Amino acid sequence: MANRRGVLARGLTGWAFAGPGTLLVVGLSIFPAVWAFLISRTRWNGIAPPRQLGWANYQVMADDPELWESVRHTFALTALFVPSSILIGLIVAIALSQDIRFIKFYRTCIFVPFVASAAATGILASYVFNPQFGSANELLRRVGFPAQQFLEDPQQVLVVICLIALWGQIGFTAVVYLAALQDAPKDLIEAATVDGANRFRVFWHVTVPELRPVTVFMVVWQTITALQLFDLVYTTTRGGPLNSSQTIVYYVFELAFQTRRYGYGSAVAYGLFALTMVLTIGMILYSRRARVEAF
Amino acid sequence: MKRSMSKLFTAAAAALALAAAGCSSGSPTPSDDGKDAADGYDPKAQVTLTWWTGQTADAQTLAETLAKEYQTAHPNVTLNVSTGAPTTDDLLTKLSAGFTSGNYPDISYAYGSWATELAGSGHTQNLSKFVADPAMAWSEIPAAARATATVDGKIIGVPALVDNLALIYNKKVFDDAGVAYPTDDWSWDDFRTAAKKLTAPSKNIYGTAYSVSGSEDTTWHLWPLLWQRGGKILDDKGKPAFNSDAGVGALDFLRAMAVDDKSMYLDQTDEKYGPLFYSGNVAMMLSGPWVLYDLKDQGVEYGVVNMPGFNGNHETVSGPDLWVLYNHNDPNRAGASRDFIRWLTSKEIDPRWNLANGNLPLRTSEKDTKEFADYISEYAPGAQKFFDNLANAKQPRPTVTGYVEMSRYVGEAIAKVLQGAASAKDALDEAARKSGPALGNG
Repeated sequence: MANRRGVLARGLTGWAFAGPGTLLVVGLSIFPAVWAFLISRTRWNGIAPPRQLGWANYQVMADDPELWESVRHTFALTALFVPSSILIGLIVAIALSQDIRFIKFYRTCIFVPFVASAAATGILASYVFNPQFGSANELLRRVGFPAQQFLEDPQQVLVVICLIALWGQIGFTAVVYLAALQDAPKDLIEAATVDGANRFRVFWHVTVPELRPVTVFMVVWQTITALQLFDLVYTTTRGGPLNSSQTIVYYVFELAFQTRRYGYGSAVAYGLFALTMVLTIGMILYSRRARVEAF
Repeated sequence: MKRSMSKLFTAAAAALALAAAGCSSGSPTPSDDGKDAADGYDPKAQVTLTWWTGQTADAQTLAETLAKEYQTAHPNVTLNVSTGAPTTDDLLTKLSAGFTSGNYPDISYAYGSWATELAGSGHTQNLSKFVADPAMAWSEIPAAARATATVDGKIIGVPALVDNLALIYNKKVFDDAGVAYPTDDWSWDDFRTAAKKLTAPSKNIYGTAYSVSGSEDTTWHLWPLLWQRGGKILDDKGKPAFNSDAGVGALDFLRAMAVDDKSMYLDQTDEKYGPLFYSGNVAMMLSGPWVLYDLKDQGVEYGVVNMPGFNGNHETVSGPDLWVLYNHNDPNRAGASRDFIRWLTSKEIDPRWNLANGNLPLRTSEKDTKEFADYISEYAPGAQKFFDNLANAKQPRPTVTGYVEMSRYVGEAIAKVLQGAASAKDALDEAARKSGPALGNG
């Protein structure tokens, strides 16, 4: 009896700690998610009573060319953004782990863009890359290159948005790698050096294996960031020109809040959720099989 | 322990699903039984009204002042005044959340293009009887604005603001290029010729500008050209008719300026062409009285003339905003909100509201007031022209379910054509086809 009461008390104590957090997650994440699922099975403009459609919205997704265009843009952006943010982040982190003067100042400089909101970054960048009046073209002109259309050219717009995103995100990957680099065991490095390995070999055979869990984590994290890119698109191009920078999340926003098709918008959002889930589970399974302890 | 936890979780998820289902079905919709919402209104009853103004900054302060004044004269009425949402655009989302939770205002500001959707909520009042009262002087308000407030024969609100599009030109750019100023009788060909002459790529000057964001700002600039050529947005059966020869011809004319002449600055955002006009990088823009304040503020030397015309027809488009009145199944609240709106839009009070905010007067009868004379001289030369141009706004944008969605497809079609990615015919045909389901004629 006393034992059972002890279990109960322990359970209550546990819930007292976990309760507030659980309530927040349930109220702010799970509840809206369930609601969105119910909406996704209706045609609803947010005001008039919704009309039940069953799975029709999900069927429409299969042959909606605009959706597949935005999926293509999102994948192109992810393929550009994830490897470059990780590679550049690593290079910057190695540079920042050197023992030079003012290193703390440099570290701060690299991190500041990450702290700035993406909305502010986007607005600033749209001035810099304005084809008629921006400073990027001014710079190109001075070094003798022809002026570019940047955000107003359907061919260039994704690359430019990726550049702007990188400017904001390098700080994050660099800081994570910096921490990982400092964790690399000093005794192993010393041992390798004593054994006659040069600096590159020490880096390749000792430091890089230490970075693998962090890298797997970063790939997942940056992939999610890229798949959910919205604020930069909203503040720079609104999906244009000619929808060539419309990402999946921007398409969801446009469906729900511009054309007021909440039902179909929610269905597409669920599609994105499924996609992200599959990718994440895939990465976790890979890291378990490869014995990289990222999660 | 683990198993019972997962059971608990399933139960919780089921409960959530039920709660959510309750939410999406919304609060009970008052059925329209033909009874007037203010039937049995007692003007002396104590009532509390919520007023979402949709205004910011100075206009909001003024709204609060006027509300106080009204309450002093009517001590039994308490007005809760708030902006309702951070921007006017956000009001619709806020209202839709309000309908879902049953917590919506008595009076709210609304863009005219929202009218049908708001009426579809079933929460709006029908003001037909109220506006028939001679005290309301309904006919003094421009016809296009009255039509916008009318959905399926029901009047859901009172116009809050009237405007129209006209041709605004930057005198300095014209002088520098040695081009004669536009006149009220300009044809679209005159407009095109001048735009071509004024365009100077080396100096970053464009003859004119057009928004290609695909929003309503993109769409409604096309309607006057369509109407002037004898076209219609929808036919008598409510099916898309903007892809007629008139519509294709109108859009192809703009395409020629944007693609062949390159005399048109294509704004991806709606927000850049105004400032570029002020700074002299765009010589002419088709815009409305809402820029008068900025033109004065920036000290731009400008002139305003009629929209250019096809075959001497200078018809323009109007984008009225509304005060929409909602039904809370309480005749006293309905009656009191009507009385307040009649007061606010009366020819005595409206000059202190619209004219003070730099907008056109709501009623023709205001033109003899001192406030109107002050307004005309303060915002010279534009104010008088925009006021006169109200007479050229002859047709309303259709108040039908699905206009917002259709407008989006037309906007995207225009954006494609002006950027040389499609022909006017193909793009408008596609927009018409996509709009079918939204307009309820699959």
